[in-house]
Amino acid sequence: MKEITDPYEPELASFQDADTPDTADGDDTVAKTGTTTVGITTPDGVVIGTDRRASLGGRFVSNKSVQKVEQIHPTAALTLVGSVGGAQSFIRTLRSEASLYETRRDEPMSIHALATLAGNFARGGPFFAINPILGGVDEDGSHVYSIDPAGGVMEDDYTVTGSGMQLAHGALENQYDDDLSLEEAETLAARAVNAATERDTGSGNGLVLATVTEDGVEITHHDDVTDLL
Amino acid sequence: MQDNQQQAYDRGITIFSPDGRLYQVEYAREAVARGSASVGVRTSDGVVLAADRQARSPLIERDSIEKIHPVGDHVGVASAGHVADARKLVDIARRETQVNKLRYDEPIGVETLTKSITDHVQEYTQTGGARPFGVALLVAGIEDGEPRLFETDPSGTPYEWEATAVGGGRDDIMALLEEEYDPEMDLASGIGLALEGLAEADDQDLDPEGVHVATADVESESFDTLPTEDVRTHLEERDLGGDQ
Repeated sequence: MKEITDPYEPELASFQDADTPDTADGDDTVAKTGTTTVGITTPDGVVIGTDRRASLGGRFVSNKSVQKVEQIHPTAALTLVGSVGGAQSFIRTLRSEASLYETRRDEPMSIHALATLAGNFARGGPFFAINPILGGVDEDGSHVYSIDPAGGVMEDDYTVTGSGMQLAHGALENQYDDDLSLEEAETLAARAVNAATERDTGSGNGLVLATVTEDGVEITHHDDVTDLL
Repeated sequence: MQDNQQQAYDRGITIFSPDGRLYQVEYAREAVARGSASVGVRTSDGVVLAADRQARSPLIERDSIEKIHPVGDHVGVASAGHVADARKLVDIARRETQVNKLRYDEPIGVETLTKSITDHVQEYTQTGGARPFGVALLVAGIEDGEPRLFETDPSGTPYEWEATAVGGGRDDIMALLEEEYDPEMDLASGIGLALEGLAEADDQDLDPEGVHVATADVESESFDTLPTEDVRTHLEERDLGGDQ
């Protein structure tokens, strides 16, 4: 008898230890991103900005050059926020699901479908300590979604997640406009992440920018943020 | 001895004959050919499914003869062959439709749905101790605003069509469709052509109660059964019966 796919699980593998939630939140030996990640929509595409710091318990910087945004689809990227292990596994899973979908159906997943799938996995799986942003472009235009640890999926014109989110929001709130150019959005993303890295101990060590257009995803590293401001 | 060997290819569905044939699959196609016909016609406005459900007794409740099955809001199937086998495939199709909606929050594509059905059908041509599905389906629906029409057969192969038929009298219906089909026709003309196809196989006037017609409409993106009164009107217009 044909197995009907579980909508809350990846098709290629079942979640390990789904009954034992990731307790990384209170554990100082597990690497976490701390993090400030921002996503901004523009008419020409999406800009995602992240800091580059990984920390243990928010008190020790365990890595100073983490790339916290990864391409998961021909025209979409996801940020790593929360437990590094949980976020990396989440990205590998979504990347393979998006690839399988496109190979079978000969068309890429819509960003809404990708966000729904990400929300289902966050809800149904052991990824309890993640809070990523999904940004992407499809035939309906530019989209950013925040995915919360319980599987909540919310679309917005711009969004921020991570320990520095209040600081970054403060910078974004007055400067966002719905017809920014990609270059203006990159500057704004850099300012928002920079505002957080100045004061949030979980965020710092430079900036990574991902620019998503209908042509694909471009990711650049910046040791020094000042030339972007 | 010769006879016994011949029978062996015959019985095991997982066993090829020396000339590369799967007899059980061919017999299943025969079961389809013995069923009453179903016709599908794709037009620019939508897809039409029409099925013959002539009753073997006037005492039977017509609605209990299932030939056309809604699968989701935007897609449905018509069958020819073993109705019981069709019901199992229809249930799989319905569940796949809902899983796709739950998983991706988007309506399942007609092609994706058809292939999930045929992948299931194929398993039964390669699994010991089982028999193939003795049914062919026409899958009709709307995908990204476009009308799509597919066929599944007992081997588990999917085909896409502009217009086609499954079941008894298929060759005659196909000859008519190949002659009369026009890709520019509207939905009403498509319904007329599908009914003419059924009449071709039946070789007698059609009774509106004995014909089941459904459409997948591009504008509403919905799969709906045509009321008997509308079927009667179409039959009268084409002089195919209905005025008794």
